[in-house]
Amino acid sequence: MYTLITLSTLGFLTLMVGVFKRNSILLPLTLLGLTLAFVLNCLDIKVDQLYYVSMMGDDMFAVSFTQVMIATTALIALLAHYQFKGDMSNAGEFYTILIFTLIGAQVMVSFNHMVMFFIGIEILSISLYILAGLNKKDKASNEAALKYFLIGSFASGFLLMGIALVYAATHSLYIGDIAEKVRAGSEMSSPILIVGLLLILVGMAFKISAAPFHFWAPDVYEGSPTLVTSFMATVVKTAAIASFLRLFFICFGSIGNEWTNVLTVLAILTMSIGNITALYQKNFKRLLAYSGISHAGFLLIGVIVYANSAGAVLYYSIAYSLASLTAFTILIFLSSKNGDTAITSFNGLGKRNPWLAVAMTIAMLSLAGIPPTAGFFGKYYLFNLAIRDGQWWLVGFGLLNSLISVYYYFWIIICMFVKEPADETKLQSEWSSLLVVTVTAIGILAIGFIPEQIITLIK
Amino acid sequence: MDSSLKIYLPILLQLLLVLGFVAVNMLVTHIIGPKRNSIAKDSSFECGIEVEGNARIPFSVKYFLIAILFVLFDVELIFLYPWVVNYLELGFKGFFEMFLFIAILLVGFIYIFKKGALKWEE
Repeated sequence: MYTLITLSTLGFLTLMVGVFKRNSILLPLTLLGLTLAFVLNCLDIKVDQLYYVSMMGDDMFAVSFTQVMIATTALIALLAHYQFKGDMSNAGEFYTILIFTLIGAQVMVSFNHMVMFFIGIEILSISLYILAGLNKKDKASNEAALKYFLIGSFASGFLLMGIALVYAATHSLYIGDIAEKVRAGSEMSSPILIVGLLLILVGMAFKISAAPFHFWAPDVYEGSPTLVTSFMATVVKTAAIASFLRLFFICFGSIGNEWTNVLTVLAILTMSIGNITALYQKNFKRLLAYSGISHAGFLLIGVIVYANSAGAVLYYSIAYSLASLTAFTILIFLSSKNGDTAITSFNGLGKRNPWLAVAMTIAMLSLAGIPPTAGFFGKYYLFNLAIRDGQWWLVGFGLLNSLISVYYYFWIIICMFVKEPADETKLQSEWSSLLVVTVTAIGILAIGFIPEQIITLIK
Repeated sequence: MDSSLKIYLPILLQLLLVLGFVAVNMLVTHIIGPKRNSIAKDSSFECGIEVEGNARIPFSVKYFLIAILFVLFDVELIFLYPWVVNYLELGFKGFFEMFLFIAILLVGFIYIFKKGALKWEE
């Protein structure tokens, strides 16, 4: 509860600081506020209370996902410092909207009432539409914003209609009450409830860019400024999958057989389409977009085996967020000179900036799921749960897709270490992005050693 | 029919009634109403003044901005009415919450003011 208040206050403060042109204190203020929110959120661990007329909850699920998202946002705020070096005219707005997006994400993972769920998603989405168009003069950025807005509002429509139908069937918006009503009538689930459930499912599939609702993702990811893309790939994806799991586990857990089959098909499609399309990409941002789609498929496994998968989903989200943050940071680094985001710009990075190349290798290994890294354990625990649930098809396709993905992740590594660079000059280092790369790369290796501790956080 | 669907029968009936009302009225006026056509009457905006030029002309985006801001602060007032009506009942807590609401809007107002959204010239 105090986290939410702190973050909101911080949002207004950064807006005022930005508009009065005190740009030099923007980053310290943001980091200070996020640290405070992080600490206050720590105090909520084990409190487990409801607040705001029981519309939101401080359970372990909400607190741990919020922690991850606050930490990731802090890293992205650090990166923004580098991005806004030249032109500070929009910096205040950027930090403000970033923080408001985080508020939306927090509401999304700690909702206890359907209205809060929807408001959270809307705070998050509307802020993101603006962020996608952050480069006002760039046509691609404008196109991304408009596409994201149209598709996103369409998805919100589905979601709202679904919520309305679930309300019609259960006469309540509190997720606890809905769960009770659903359980009571589980022998003969009302058709209205099922239609509502499917509409919510479609809306959420849009938001996490699961196939066949993924078409917006590559264009939006490519057009948006890289900084914003990294935010979409990490915090937003974490929030979306966490709220998906929270809603379906709590509300519709008792009628799992009605919707897990649909999700199984979606997950297999998402993994396969994401990975196979990624093989053909020439642009690194598009490649990461398709890789993000396939990872959404893996995360969907966590929703399918909803019963005790929260810890595994948390772990996978952390691993994926860290790895893609590393990759995006290095991409920002490489493309800062001429804005080129093609895969060929990685050629010979191993000779130019060895440490960046090593960090990138760690990130790619983690995304592909190679043993010592966090990505491996994330996949391992999800597959483990799926096997225990008897979902053999899912596990089979998951393994197959992991193998496919190795090809394009390793292609980047080959580019960095084997191919000759276009120009030999060393890239200018900058402390904030170097710090982010170092923290995330070490983080990937570090949480690979403590998977059990993280997975058992959420009971 | 499934028994759980049966409770939605009134909604279906109302839908039919509404659609039927519209359809019947349009049909009846079409059939029994007198028909007197003229060029002026058939024009798009029949209001006594002659149509002049095209509606699709470029206009200053400032109009749009001012209109949006007007709507924002106009809606703020609507929220004040229910609070005023229940002022005594809500007490200090309600006063504080309303104060917070206005303060948040004030931040927005300072923002648009400093950004120059209200400057009409230039």
